[in-house]
Amino acid sequence: MGLYTLRRLLISIPLLLVISAVVFTLLQFTPGDPLDAYIPPDQVLSAEQRQILKVDLGLDQSKPVQYFKWLGRAAQGDLGYRIKNGQPVIEELGRRLPPTLLLMGLGMTVGVTLGIFFGIVAAVKRYTLLDNTLTFLAFLGISTPAFLAGLLGMYVFALKLGWFPAGGYQTPGDGGALDILRHLILPAMILSVTYIAILMRYTRSSILEVLFQDFVRTASAKGVPSYRVISKHVLRNALIPVVTVIGANVANLIGGAVFLESIFSWPGTGQLYLDAIDSRDYPMIMGTTLMLAIIILLANLITDLMYGLIDPRIRYS
Amino acid sequence: MMKRSLLALTFALCTLGSASADKVITGAFDQGPGGAPGQFNPLTNTAGFTWLNKYFSTLVLYDPAFKKISGDLASSWTVADGGKKYTFVLRDGVKWHDGQAFTSADVKFSLNLANNPDSGSGFAAKFGNITNIQTPNARTVVLTLSKPNAALLDAMTNFMILPEHALNKIAPKDLRNSAWWRTNPVGTGPFKWNKLVPDQYVELVANPTYFRGKPKVDRLVNRYFKEQAAAVVALKSGDIEFSYLTLDDTKTFNGNAVKILDGSSQVANYLGFNNASPLLKDVRIRQAILLAVDRATIVKQLYGGGAEVANCPVTNSKYVPKGINAYAYNQDQARQLLKAAGWDSGKSVEVITYYSDQLSKDVLVTLQQMLAGVGFKIAPRFVDVPTYNQITGGSDFTMVYAGIGNGPDPDTLYPSMHSDFIPPNGTNRMKVSIPALNKLFEQGQETTLASTRTKAYQDMCALVNKQLPWDVLWSAKRFGGVSTKLSNFIWTPAPAGGRYDDKAYLWDTK
Repeated sequence: MGLYTLRRLLISIPLLLVISAVVFTLLQFTPGDPLDAYIPPDQVLSAEQRQILKVDLGLDQSKPVQYFKWLGRAAQGDLGYRIKNGQPVIEELGRRLPPTLLLMGLGMTVGVTLGIFFGIVAAVKRYTLLDNTLTFLAFLGISTPAFLAGLLGMYVFALKLGWFPAGGYQTPGDGGALDILRHLILPAMILSVTYIAILMRYTRSSILEVLFQDFVRTASAKGVPSYRVISKHVLRNALIPVVTVIGANVANLIGGAVFLESIFSWPGTGQLYLDAIDSRDYPMIMGTTLMLAIIILLANLITDLMYGLIDPRIRYS
Repeated sequence: MMKRSLLALTFALCTLGSASADKVITGAFDQGPGGAPGQFNPLTNTAGFTWLNKYFSTLVLYDPAFKKISGDLASSWTVADGGKKYTFVLRDGVKWHDGQAFTSADVKFSLNLANNPDSGSGFAAKFGNITNIQTPNARTVVLTLSKPNAALLDAMTNFMILPEHALNKIAPKDLRNSAWWRTNPVGTGPFKWNKLVPDQYVELVANPTYFRGKPKVDRLVNRYFKEQAAAVVALKSGDIEFSYLTLDDTKTFNGNAVKILDGSSQVANYLGFNNASPLLKDVRIRQAILLAVDRATIVKQLYGGGAEVANCPVTNSKYVPKGINAYAYNQDQARQLLKAAGWDSGKSVEVITYYSDQLSKDVLVTLQQMLAGVGFKIAPRFVDVPTYNQITGGSDFTMVYAGIGNGPDPDTLYPSMHSDFIPPNGTNRMKVSIPALNKLFEQGQETTLASTRTKAYQDMCALVNKQLPWDVLWSAKRFGGVSTKLSNFIWTPAPAGGRYDDKAYLWDTK
């Protein structure tokens, strides 16, 4: 397994190279360059000042040179400086990553727990009113985009009911763990909605598939109590495809987080990414892409490793 | 008995506690078009001055109605030598936030910094003709100009004076993005920098030695919202006490917890034409476009009355002469003019805009319908600012829908309409090149006589109204919402959040 992990990690390197090259190339096709974004439409700058800025931002060099310079520095862990304010990209990412991980972490934990739980309930109580209701809610959850759910959630829970603060990461002047948690709960719950819905559907159908197999019937016939049949025999087999879904949806989770971070003024990488694109901040876009790609690749690797833990029949060779 | 006195003591301590609690005003001061969240360098900022002036000060400032300029760090000034010599007398006893004395050397240092190309300052375009800065004593600054500039004082209202003792060790090039602006900026304003929690908020604390008196509140917090909707919810839920609002936002407020403030945006919205392109060169086509648009209806229906029809780019009514052509809605005349100019009604013209709000989308769709009614097809295209800048910086475009902030001094329009500023040399993106117009702008700058100056800009307004290098449509209002818990709060829309005397040291909470 150690060798397998190492091999997978090594394969990631050329993959990341390709991703960075593709993103850089695509950026060149985007209209407007960082200088056009840096200077507002009615800001008067002389041609001399423009040239100074251009040289300073490295935009006077040819595109391939710009890319390879970036790559050379990135390989040494230096992702350059943000054009917008000259801050090191790595520092900005370092500051923005924890809030995102906090949001995604709680969203995912709640999503996985409730999704699997409701999936089991729906499967066991299949075709009852409860199952139908859960199915209906799941479809509603899957088909509601994160930004709509975010706005609705904010309107109901922050404005009308006043249970949670209307966005932000902390109360100015406070910022204790409890204060952050109070700000975290609402966006995290909303982020988990899609996850709950998707996982519930997968868990339900996966359990139903296993439920009627011979070994389950045998176990039941032998008089094993039903909760043990479910937890020991059904769940273990049914969860393998579900784990795949959990891993595959990390990218979706990031997508949802991008919108929710904007709506909830949550200072994470998603908001930073949108901001970077708005201002054509190449170093920031490249840095964020690289980091998100690493997160997704790692999530996939962890998913694959989880298979082995759940199903001992799977061998990594 | 013992129990009762203990209770009384606890109660007394509690009230004492709440009485000595900090008075804080939290707002989204950088929300909307006048704000620049996270940008703290006043030399390169093109917006956000409403926040910057809470801790920095300028030499002079406007009143909230933008009628008159009065002193801030300068107690008085004189203009001599036909407008080529400005002498500022500085206020006595002003201290920087770190306790150092504020002197004329700081003013000289700041102006030199603005004129140094390495600092990347947009003020260079306004201060470029300052050839000499003298400081005969600590309280006097004398500026000598290569040619008269009557708009200098207007530019000064947005120019924050910086501390020489804190910045002279940083090279101008490094100053552009220096951490100093974000960590320990030192100003002379009513509030002192306390801390920045990146991407979330900035906190200032009262400056007890502020030259107009100690502020009434202890802290001033500026929160950042990426989404306008989020700022509105925060204002409604009482999390913040002030935010910029869009016209649509204002309709969602009811009750009396929030007071809606409004004022002229000092922005003229216009359909701009690429004057270098042969396609719309015939003035009859540009006249037809203006005649075909029922502006009164758009202002009434879409803006809910919150805009004023405008017939030249000048928003300050003092400079708009009477009797200019109002181009009243007339479809027949528009059709005739297009026909006479030989316009091919099968042709479609792309209209580029950087506006992305719903109101602007509605406006463009309406313009599209109205113009189609006379046989002029347009195709709106919504782009972001970098794309807009790139396209209009070149020559491959025909029409735009845009806005130009130009109040209160019409000189602000100079770089957008004078032919010296055609890209890459500046922001005359519509490539307007009318020698008579150039001359009027130059005259407006060079004359010191108020009446001659007014006449120059009135003539400029009339000329633009006649030749239509832009079809100016209207000037809209802008809105802010403030919690009724605040007292003495002054806010008024201004270009770039510009500098007017909002007396922030008197702002208070009830």
